[in-house]
Amino acid sequence: MTLDWWGLGLQAINVLILVWLLSRVFWRPVAGAITRRQEAAQAMLDEGKTAQAKADAALAEVTEARAGIAAERDAMLAEAKAAADTVAKAVRKDAQTEADTLLAAARKAIDRDRTTARKENAAKATELSVEIAARLLGQFNTPAVRAAFLAQLVEAIAGMSDSERTALIASGDIEIVTATDPEGAERAEIEQAVKDALGGAPRFRLVTDPDLIAGLELRSAHFVLHNSWRADLENILKEVENAG
Amino acid sequence: MNSPLESTVLFQIGPVPITQAIVTTWAIMTILVIGAFALTRRLDLRPTRRQAALELMVATLDTQITETTGVAPAPYRGFIGTLFLFILVANWSSLVPGVEPPTAQLETDAALAVLVFLSVIWFGIRARGVGGWLKSFATPNPVMIPLNILQSLTRVFSMFVRLFGNVMSGVFVIGIVASLAGLLVPIPLMALDLLIGLVQAYIFAVLSMVFITSTVKVAAHNPPSTDLAPSPTKKDS
Repeated sequence: MTLDWWGLGLQAINVLILVWLLSRVFWRPVAGAITRRQEAAQAMLDEGKTAQAKADAALAEVTEARAGIAAERDAMLAEAKAAADTVAKAVRKDAQTEADTLLAAARKAIDRDRTTARKENAAKATELSVEIAARLLGQFNTPAVRAAFLAQLVEAIAGMSDSERTALIASGDIEIVTATDPEGAERAEIEQAVKDALGGAPRFRLVTDPDLIAGLELRSAHFVLHNSWRADLENILKEVENAG
Repeated sequence: MNSPLESTVLFQIGPVPITQAIVTTWAIMTILVIGAFALTRRLDLRPTRRQAALELMVATLDTQITETTGVAPAPYRGFIGTLFLFILVANWSSLVPGVEPPTAQLETDAALAVLVFLSVIWFGIRARGVGGWLKSFATPNPVMIPLNILQSLTRVFSMFVRLFGNVMSGVFVIGIVASLAGLLVPIPLMALDLLIGLVQAYIFAVLSMVFITSTVKVAAHNPPSTDLAPSPTKKDS
């Protein structure tokens, strides 16, 4: 067995050349591709981390802004509520004032109406009383009553001054008003009594007025001497009305 | 059948006899280089299946180097990987009819062993400097210098003898069986020869890696004063 030294050397050179060539065209390119991919992956990871950090920062910012918005909303709500409360209080106060005013006005109106009604009722009651009294007194127009009225008339004429009597006589026609038409003797008695009370020569005539109820009155153009239940009732009615 | 111990000279270039093993080696070199060039023409960040397979191969080799030696794989990837690929393809070239694997010839295996021997020296000096490399023979003490020198020679000798013996014997046995029992009987033996070829390529590459990095690992524990050591962060570009 011999060793071919040329062959040994040539094979060694061949393998060295192959090592060099494969390093150039195979091992380094493939390892470079792996390295490039690792670097790209690392870069993507770094970018991802950076984007994550940015996203976290943005999220924190949004969260903070949202908290600010919530606080601002709460403040605005509180302010609006306070304003609404103030307005509501003012409105309630105004309404209360207006209601009090209306109530007072209503009470005044009620009082006024009540007073008016009471007055009207009183007036009606008075009128009704007067009417009742007039009807009742109408039933008592007896000769004694007429004699009493005649006496009162004579007394009233006597109470007049001379000048008043003279003026009354001078005024001309004097009406002696009675509630009922007197009979002949009673008529003569009335005319005689009046004539005596007046004195002189008066001219008069008898007039019947049922409204007097009972009584005798003298009337002329400018003079009236009341002397009847009607006049008395009217006086009472006036006094009652004035008292109310 | 020619004796496996004899080289068939095909032609002469001057004083240099060109044997069949050399021509086969050239053919294998051509195939490997052209194939590697064709496979690595369009490497992209988005790998195709082809690129993924290539990267898986390189990553596996790097992992193997790192797990075996504990050093960065980049400085040794080209040499160790090329040794493995060449020996594997050379061993499996016996499947091609009429082709005798170059590794079945003594000169090829001896040349590979010589390259491993020289690479141990080269990487040792790169890592530790000349003095450091020489001092490595005195570990653990100067008494071991003769034994260490003898070991550095015998271990590469054993490597090439192991490779030569296994491949040559496989070819020899298959040839004998084929000449005696026809065509189909050698097929199981050829399959076994494929496995042997793979295992021998792996063993040769791993042993080379161990021999080379044994000095580098010592250098890592005892850094040299010179600045010849490869940077562990040096990128393979």
